[in-house]
Amino acid sequence: MTEDIISLIRENVIQGRVTQDDEGVEGGMVGQPGVLELTEKALAMGINIRDIINKGLTGGMDVVGKKFETKEYFIPDMLASAEAVGTAMEMLEPYLAKSGIKAKGKVIMATVKGDHHDIGKNIVSILLRGAGYTVKDLGNDIEPQTIVNAVREEKPQFLGLSALLTSTMTGMQDTIKALEESGFRDRVKVIIGGAPVSEEFAQSIGADGYGADGFQALAVIRSLTATG
Amino acid sequence: MIRKGLAGGSFQPLTKESISRIHQTVMRVIEEVGFEVNSETALQLFEQAGARVDREERRVRLPQTKAQELIKTAPPEVGLCGQEEKHDVLLGGNRVYTGTGGTALYIYEPDTNQKRPATLEDLKRIAKLVDRLDNIHLFMLPTYPHELPIEQVDVNRFFAGLDNTTKHVMGGVYTLDGVKQVIRMAEMAAGSAEELRQRPLISMIACSISPLKMDAQYGDLVVEIARSGIPLVCPAEPLCGATSPVTLAGNLVIQTADSLMGVMLTQIVKPGTPVIFGSVATNTDLRDLKYLAGSVEMGLLNAAGAQMAQFYRLPFYATGGMTDSKVLDAQSGYESAITNLLCALAGANFIHDAAGLMEFALTACYEKFVIDNEILGMVMRAVDGIKVNDDTLAFDLIKEVGPGGNFVTAKHTRRFMRSEHYQPFLSDRNSREEWEAKGEQATWEKAGEIAQRLIAEHVYRLPTAVRQQILSEIKGIVD
Repeated sequence: MTEDIISLIRENVIQGRVTQDDEGVEGGMVGQPGVLELTEKALAMGINIRDIINKGLTGGMDVVGKKFETKEYFIPDMLASAEAVGTAMEMLEPYLAKSGIKAKGKVIMATVKGDHHDIGKNIVSILLRGAGYTVKDLGNDIEPQTIVNAVREEKPQFLGLSALLTSTMTGMQDTIKALEESGFRDRVKVIIGGAPVSEEFAQSIGADGYGADGFQALAVIRSLTATG
Repeated sequence: MIRKGLAGGSFQPLTKESISRIHQTVMRVIEEVGFEVNSETALQLFEQAGARVDREERRVRLPQTKAQELIKTAPPEVGLCGQEEKHDVLLGGNRVYTGTGGTALYIYEPDTNQKRPATLEDLKRIAKLVDRLDNIHLFMLPTYPHELPIEQVDVNRFFAGLDNTTKHVMGGVYTLDGVKQVIRMAEMAAGSAEELRQRPLISMIACSISPLKMDAQYGDLVVEIARSGIPLVCPAEPLCGATSPVTLAGNLVIQTADSLMGVMLTQIVKPGTPVIFGSVATNTDLRDLKYLAGSVEMGLLNAAGAQMAQFYRLPFYATGGMTDSKVLDAQSGYESAITNLLCALAGANFIHDAAGLMEFALTACYEKFVIDNEILGMVMRAVDGIKVNDDTLAFDLIKEVGPGGNFVTAKHTRRFMRSEHYQPFLSDRNSREEWEAKGEQATWEKAGEIAQRLIAEHVYRLPTAVRQQILSEIKGIVD
């Protein structure tokens, strides 16, 4: 029974089904329990949370990652799966400490001042949630000072900054400067992303990392978690 | 024989009922969903015109009747003029013209297989080249000079155009001050402010952000350009599955609504402002959300956009003719050909980006301008269609020649052979032996030779007095 429900969670992560209302990859699955309902049920049955996460949720995401690499899956498939995992993780959060599972950490996300493009930032946010991080998304066109305030109040380990335009990417530099001036720069790792920026640019403005796409951003955050 | 302004419309991906359903959905979007307008000037103008405005969300919703009223005040035809009258075009109806487009950041050089940042000198050389390519009817500034600071970009781009081609010059603009300086420059080239309005030698482009959003800078630019009376394009660039529904019909709803938002704003500023409804609609690669410039869906969307423009009786700016290929290979040819052909057969008034662009429109290439000029010649021949009348049916001739005869020596053949058949200037039609004897050139190699020759032969410059006046009165032009 335990194995059954965990493999169902895993299968529904692969299908990208958050709740029973979702269709799944090929459609036709509406009405069957989704990841959220299954995770609730598993909790009620007293199944080990570590198993729910490692074998069910993360296990499912690993398969999704492979399907994406082999071009069977598109980005919307990947996002649906990540959303399913993220939603389940949110529900499990109050129980993590009790089970001795350490939270992954908190990430603040923002598109910098002057820039209204948010698709890239939103994708990274979903992927991070899907990987178990707590994400606070400030939105787009965000002033450096607003970001500094959020860092002060939310105490995140990471700050993700996004820009799509060459004319707004300087907003990242302004934000990092504002963090330095207010004395908060050392408390948070800054990762940047967006079409016009590069590893080189990240280094030149004193960011801690650069992600060319959502998966790289996730990899960078993971590596910074491991080292920092 | 130069074919331009011919009537397209033989390809109609949308039925009458489809057009009507898209229109009704667009009107519901404009009335019920509305637009987020981040330019204070634009927001106030919409409010004064009778839009319902939610200040907190900066959301503008227009009653359908009001929207239709505003669309109707836009002129059904917009004339774009060249410094030589033979290059004048009249956008509207289902007449088809082609032009370059932009704005690419790099130049690809096929002989070294490298790309490098585009410079102002490239822009001048491309203007000279396009001036000589007959199947490209309009010159839209195709590259961004990377070495210039942004304040100098607008004046230098437009000067490079006006000083090197007598075709109409259209371009995207980057700063409000740049817009003002460019208009002053064009007034000098036209002779006076009055003459520029009568014969607009230039036109400008200001995009909305799909879905349903106008950012502060572009809102201000639309208002400024509309006030100046210079023709303006308001295109929208919805991407299937990213900034519009993944379905082509849903994309058309967003593209139509977004472009109409710009059109309506110009009519609020001044009823009758010359404005061009526009589409840069396409799909994305849903494996990494890259913008695609050579997909068959892009061709379909822009062909359908032409039908929507014809429905609203607005001149249309379509996007076609690009490729996502990184080199001048088969993909580069078939993607450019298919997208150009679909737009042209649908009667798109101005197919922009029709020549010279590759690699998701990031990169321009001299050789590709020449190759695409050939594609466009063939495309325009297809638009021309098949004329059927007594002369072309040629019954009398068939009777005269009779069974087993030939038509090579018939006067009828000489009379019609040039007009009935497109004469390629690039395509190789040699036998293998001839082709080998002539150096086994690939298309791009031959195109490169043609490009170099045309640029070297080119002689046009603005009249000396006008040139002097512009250089002394407009600051920042690099001569």
